[in-house]
Amino acid sequence: MKKIFALISLALLLAMTLVTGVSADSHTAKVRIVHASPDAPAVDVYVNGDAALENVPFKADSGYLDLPAGTHDVEVFATGTAYEEGAGVLRADLAIEAGKAYTVAAANTVDALEFVVAEDSMEVTEGKTKIRVGHLSPDAPAVDVGLIGGDAVFSGAEFPGITDYTELDAGTYDLEIRLPDGTQVLPLEGTELAADTVYSVFAVNTVDAIEVLALVDYEAAGSPDGMPTTGLGTPSQEQTPWLLIGATLALFAAGGLVWRRRFQE
Amino acid sequence: MLGLLGVLAGCQEAEDEVSVRSENVGFAAEQTEKVEVEVNVKAAVPAPAGNPINASARTGIKPESLKIPAIGVNTSVQHLGTTENGEMAVPDDIDEVSWFSPGYQPGQNGRAVIAGHVDGIDGPAVFWDLSELQPGDEITVEGEGRQLIYKVHTMESVPLDEADVPNIFGYSSSPELVLITCSGTYDFSRGTREERLVVYASYVGE
Repeated sequence: MKKIFALISLALLLAMTLVTGVSADSHTAKVRIVHASPDAPAVDVYVNGDAALENVPFKADSGYLDLPAGTHDVEVFATGTAYEEGAGVLRADLAIEAGKAYTVAAANTVDALEFVVAEDSMEVTEGKTKIRVGHLSPDAPAVDVGLIGGDAVFSGAEFPGITDYTELDAGTYDLEIRLPDGTQVLPLEGTELAADTVYSVFAVNTVDAIEVLALVDYEAAGSPDGMPTTGLGTPSQEQTPWLLIGATLALFAAGGLVWRRRFQE
Repeated sequence: MLGLLGVLAGCQEAEDEVSVRSENVGFAAEQTEKVEVEVNVKAAVPAPAGNPINASARTGIKPESLKIPAIGVNTSVQHLGTTENGEMAVPDDIDEVSWFSPGYQPGQNGRAVIAGHVDGIDGPAVFWDLSELQPGDEITVEGEGRQLIYKVHTMESVPLDEADVPNIFGYSSSPELVLITCSGTYDFSRGTREERLVVYASYVGE
């Protein structure tokens, strides 16, 4: 089995509060919601009382949604439950700043559900790779993530937490999640970390079934300084004044010649 | 002589068709209704079955052809970067389009940008009818043995000075396709049209 991702179609209801279209301008922030509670059912997410996401299963992420900057009331319901303000399984005010990006994970077991919020990086040094890890496995101990037989890249990651980013040279790494005493929890051999790419790697599920949810936060690419010049034609309408002026001048010149000849006669 | 001037003045009413056609264009598809969105969900697979980090990024293609059946476009795609003054470069051939190759690849997360001329010196060019596109129209980009299908969702005609270039060529957490051509009235002092028609389409499958 080569591909361990299954594409599951999910009904996404973009609420009125979400910014539609492509105007991701200076007044919006990007928010990505992740279901990281191993025993919670699929959920519906309401933003300011409007349905924003429906039927989000465990280990699914919404991708980045554009939301106006400010404070939003985010409330989570088990899918199928009718919305009633304050009756959800989890509710919090989410304060977001314009131009920034966030991951909002619903974590812990369903009886102790909590939001884990982190600001995401939308930049990376050219040619480098950037990575952070999140410990979202409610019953797992603190772990390190490091090279097999080598140094730790991240030390002492604890539930529920998301580390800062670390920039590395792009390349392939034999990584593992391990206990501080060196006992391997999960091998991640042959991890290919691409240049110009920012990753979040979250350890999810309970410790006896621990697994990794890997998300790409950002990929950098080139941008020009200006829009293309995509028309070679010059409209006749705009040429007319020049024709008009030219023709008029020619007429006056011709007229002048006539008059001059008359005077000379 | 007055009669002759009158005839010349009459010429002024000849329509600049590109300008007329790109007047009042633009839409953003209603997104208050349910739309199906693909979400990556990790299947319950025992840990060592594969490295999920390696599967986290979408791979793109270097595009070879572009098809837009709704407006009869079927053309090959050049790979170009920037001109000397830093603008996105476009083909000399008015029947071909160009992909901004230093930017995002079609199929990769982010906005892949393809530009084409609206007109040539003697008449319509490849993107002459771009302003006729409607929400939901399909666009197909082919390359490297893959065929990517997009659906149009937004169109806007933006004044050159207000175009948010880093955003138009920027990152998005799903694959997007952006088509650009010229629109608006002709600005003789700048030697180009005053606006750019920008069409956004979302990746829907292969």
